[in-house]
Amino acid sequence: MTKLLLIAVDTIRALLHQRLLVALMLVALGLTVIFSVLATQSKDFILEAAERAAELEGTEMDEQQLEEARRGMDAVGSFFLAGLYWFTALGASLVALYICCTAVAKDIRGGTIPIILAKPVSRTQFLLGRYCGAISVLLAYSALIAVALAAFTYANQLDMNMAARYAPWLMFCQSLMVGSVGLLLSLLIHPLIAAIVALFATSWFFSPPNPLYFILPSYDRFNVFSLIAEGRLITLQDVAILTLYAFDVTAIFLLLALWRFRSKEVL
Amino acid sequence: MSIIRTENLGKVYKGGTVALDGLEFEVHPGEVFGFLGPNGAGKSTTIQLLLNFIRPTTGTAFLFDEPMTCTESRQRLGYLPESVNLQTYYTGKRLLEFHAGLVGIEPGERAQRAMELLGRVGLLEAAGKSVSQYSKGMLQRLGLAQALINDPELLILDEPTSNLDPVGRRDFREILLEHKARGKTVFICSHILSEVESVCDRVAILKRGVLHRVGTMEELSGARGFRIVARDLPSAVIDVLSASSAQLTLHGKQATIVCEDQAVRDEVELVLREGAVEIERVEAETQSLEEIFFGAIDRKVES
Repeated sequence: MTKLLLIAVDTIRALLHQRLLVALMLVALGLTVIFSVLATQSKDFILEAAERAAELEGTEMDEQQLEEARRGMDAVGSFFLAGLYWFTALGASLVALYICCTAVAKDIRGGTIPIILAKPVSRTQFLLGRYCGAISVLLAYSALIAVALAAFTYANQLDMNMAARYAPWLMFCQSLMVGSVGLLLSLLIHPLIAAIVALFATSWFFSPPNPLYFILPSYDRFNVFSLIAEGRLITLQDVAILTLYAFDVTAIFLLLALWRFRSKEVL
Repeated sequence: MSIIRTENLGKVYKGGTVALDGLEFEVHPGEVFGFLGPNGAGKSTTIQLLLNFIRPTTGTAFLFDEPMTCTESRQRLGYLPESVNLQTYYTGKRLLEFHAGLVGIEPGERAQRAMELLGRVGLLEAAGKSVSQYSKGMLQRLGLAQALINDPELLILDEPTSNLDPVGRRDFREILLEHKARGKTVFICSHILSEVESVCDRVAILKRGVLHRVGTMEELSGARGFRIVARDLPSAVIDVLSASSAQLTLHGKQATIVCEDQAVRDEVELVLREGAVEIERVEAETQSLEEIFFGAIDRKVES
C-alpha cells in the first residue's frame, strides 16, 4: 500500500510539472469564467431588452409580464448553465484522457519505468498507483470546477436544480470511466490514438443489435446538459446508481488494463 | 545457492530476430561477473529478461533461486540501466528519497540515506538541484546512487561508465571494489574491457545471442595452452614430438614446445622424461581480456 501511495504521489508531482496539462486545466477554468461572464451579460441584455420594449410601447410591465420575463431569464440561465456543464464535462474528459493515456505510456516511452520496476514494486502496484495519482488530480480539478460553477450559479442567482447540483460529481464519474478506457487503450496503441478512440468508445454511437452497445460504457446519463435542457430531475438514488455504474465500468477496464500490463514488455 | 541462474534462456523478437539462444550460466555469491559481447550480442536483452521487463521465448531465469517474475527478490538487487532516465521533476535528494521509499526504507531514514549516497557518488553539492539540470555524468552518478539505495546483495550494471569521465570511472571502480569487498555480487555489462579485466572475477562472452566462453580470467587466459622450454633434445625425442600434436621449434640447442592443452602437455612431459630430457621451464600461454574477447568474436586484435 505504501508503494502504491508513493507512486500515486509521484504521479501527482509529475502531472503538476507537465506544462501542457496545467495549461489545459487553466484554459478550461479560464473559459468557464469567460462563459460565466458572457452568460451574465446575456441575462442582463435580455432584461434590458424586455424593459426597453416595454418603454417603447409606452406601457409598464404588469405582474404577468414580469413573471414571463423572469421565466424567460431562468430558461436562458438554465440553458447557459447546461452549456457550461457540457463544456466543463468535455474539458474534464479531455483532461482525464490526457492524464490517463500518458500515465503509464509516458514512463515506457521516457524510459523511466525500468528503474522503478527493478525495485520491489509489482506491476499491479505501479499501474494502480499511476491511476490513483491521475484520479486524484482529476478529483481536484473537478472540485475546482464545482467551486467555479457554484460561484457562477450563486452570482447570477440561478435556480440550481438537482441535476446541476450533482453535475460535478457526475462529471468526475464520467472522467473515471473515460480515464480507465484511455489507460487500457494506451497500453495497446499509441497514447494519442488511444485518447481519440477512448473519447468515442461509447455505446451512444451504437444501437442494441450491435454488441459494442453492450460492451462499451454509456456516458449518456452522465450528460447533465440534456438533463437540465430537458428539465429532468435527478434524485440522490439516481446519482448512487450512476456512481455504482461508473465504478463498475472503471473496475472492469482497470482489470483489463492490469491483465494487459502484467504481460506487456516495457521496453 | 546461486545469485543468478539461467536455463536455456532464449528470446526471439517480432520479425524473427534471435536475440538470445539457449543461454545458460550461473553467477555465484560474492563474485563480480563481467558480461561481454559486441553490440547486438544480447547483453541488454539478458538483463531485461532477468528483471522481467520482457518475456523469454524459451527457458527461464532465477534471481536468488527465485523465478525472475518474483517481485520480492528485487528487494535484494540494484539496477543501473545503460540509458539513465530519471524523473526530472525531483531534486537529486528527493529522487533518492522516493526510491528509498520504494525499497521499503522508513520515512525517517530516507533523507539520511539519500545524503549518504549522494556523498558517496560525489553529488552532495548538487543534492538540492533539479535533476533536469544534471549533466550526463551527474545523471550516471545519481543512477548509481539509486541502484545502491537498498545496499543490494546483487548489483546489475549495464554499461555503467559510458557517460563518465576518467575521474568518474575511477570513482566508480572504487565504489564497485568496495561493494565487492563487502561480499556483494556484481553483474556488469561493459564495452570497456580494461575496466572489466580490473574488477571481474569471472567473465562471460556472448556473441549473437550465444554464450561463447565463460570462466575466470585465469581459465580464459590460460586456455591458449602451455609453452615448455627444454635443451639438448635427442633426435629420437625430436622425432616423437614432431609427430605429435605439439608444436616444436628449435633454436640451436634450445627447444620450445607449445602444447594447446593439458593433455598434450602431459603427453610431451612423458616423452621428455622418457628421453631423459630436463625441462627448463613451463609457461602458461596467457591472453589479455582483449585478446580473449576478440578471439571469441572472431576479430583480429588491432595492433
